[in-house]
Amino acid sequence: MSLRFIQAGQQTSIQDVGRSGFMHQGISKSGAMDPLSLQLANWLVSNPINQAAIEVTLAGPTIEITEHLSIAICGAEFDLSLNDAPVFNNETIKVRAGDVLAFKGIRQGARAYLAIGGKLDVDSSFASQSTHLMAKFGGYNGRQFQSDDVLAVLSAPDIKKRVLPEAYQPSFTGNYLLRCCAGIETEQFEQESLDTFYDATYVVSNDSNRMGLRLEGEPVPMKTSIEIISSGLTQGSIQLPPSGFPIISSVDGQTIGGYPRIANVISSDLNILGQLKAGDKIGCLSVSREKAWQLLKQKQTFLDKLLLE
Amino acid sequence: MIKLSETKTKVQWNGDSALTLFFDEEASEDLTRHILSLINVFKSTFPEMIVEAIPAYQSLTLCFEPLSIAPASIEDSIRQVIDNGITDAKETQTSQNIEIMDIPVCYQGAYAPDLISLAAYCKLSPDEVIQQHTKKTYLVNMLGFLPGFLYLSGLDEQLHCPRKESPSLNVPAGAVGIGGNQTGVYPVASPGGWHIIGQTPLSLFNPTAKEPFIAQALDRIRFVPIDVEMFEKLKGEQT
Repeated sequence: MSLRFIQAGQQTSIQDVGRSGFMHQGISKSGAMDPLSLQLANWLVSNPINQAAIEVTLAGPTIEITEHLSIAICGAEFDLSLNDAPVFNNETIKVRAGDVLAFKGIRQGARAYLAIGGKLDVDSSFASQSTHLMAKFGGYNGRQFQSDDVLAVLSAPDIKKRVLPEAYQPSFTGNYLLRCCAGIETEQFEQESLDTFYDATYVVSNDSNRMGLRLEGEPVPMKTSIEIISSGLTQGSIQLPPSGFPIISSVDGQTIGGYPRIANVISSDLNILGQLKAGDKIGCLSVSREKAWQLLKQKQTFLDKLLLE
Repeated sequence: MIKLSETKTKVQWNGDSALTLFFDEEASEDLTRHILSLINVFKSTFPEMIVEAIPAYQSLTLCFEPLSIAPASIEDSIRQVIDNGITDAKETQTSQNIEIMDIPVCYQGAYAPDLISLAAYCKLSPDEVIQQHTKKTYLVNMLGFLPGFLYLSGLDEQLHCPRKESPSLNVPAGAVGIGGNQTGVYPVASPGGWHIIGQTPLSLFNPTAKEPFIAQALDRIRFVPIDVEMFEKLKGEQT
């Protein structure tokens, strides 16, 4: 059983929910940039929800299927077709030998997750099957897919079809509010800088990737230079280089940072970062840490409820 | 040896799922030792809680999973450990076999694209730069930034040079660079703003090897000059 990539797409790679415990060796989390969509796709094909799947970015692949499989796609919405007939996100799709699945134009969001019911023949390295694209390990030979690659499926149980309840179906409008709490150097910023940052509407730059999201718009003024003691750079940290244009660190970001951090995106909003694409608009809202924890808990409870169904 | 009881430590939130400890001490071997011993203490005191412990020159960042613990109380727990939990005796427990690692570097031709411009900035000849760079033994303070990247201290002041104004887009794996008061080796190909004065044929990060990293914090590094022929020979042996 296998999938053959007729076209690989812009950046198509194996990702699970990422690795932890290796940042002190310079190894970032990697993993799905929108782990929630990955989990929902896995649920639709009755996989353990944190299992590895295929992350599809902006320009998607065309894939030939060689055996009967159950698949599901969540996250970004593409014009999807199976042998030229339309198919859709958020439901289990049964495919047969010889079928061709094509990701065509992207309608909303940036990254889709294609889960395959069963187990994929991919490498585990540093406690995860995620592909570390920069250091070239994990996933499919440590790299993104190329045309003619064949991904073997080791087992594909026959599963019952599922449809994602409407409440779980995301909508990626291109306008996002990122809730943030204080970052490590926040106190050192002047009020004027913080006001500019929180009042601004930023536009996601074309120069964004799995390492970080660069924002354009009104630069944050920094009258006095902020003294930095470099320290661990966590996912969601919003750094301000001298240009004043914020950079949000993401799953493949460096592990130690050298620019002041004005804020951190809260944990429950991190998955939005995976759906941002050039031109999307971003506003930031300051919330307390207590609120951040409460929102994360609500989100987990919401997901747990689905898993009980 | 730094007395833990005398080191001022500031504890600060770093977003909603990490705390960073800042140490009011200059970066040094003793401080690195101190930070590593603290990591051991935190990991044994809170075995399940800490998902990442990221040491830096003068700081330690502890990341946790907010849902798996009571996040509001973690700050107090950590402060408690700092205030009264550790004795200096525990510091010695981090004693590891300190390795001195020789890294062969070719400082010639295409392997050293920025050697001449850096030498000019430092008002030295290229040979003097190589001499200064190879005569020191460097301390590994920590790993970070990229997989297997070594943060080293001990660069001679004569070689300090501000980073490039615009980073090079593709610095090859093994490139040896100088940026500010730091020197280091790029473990994987990446963009980078350091001045590249040489290249090592050694692979600093081997994800499939039993020991993926060539060094760890507190180890020592020396750079040993080699010629192009030796570079090619050693490179060939690697693959």
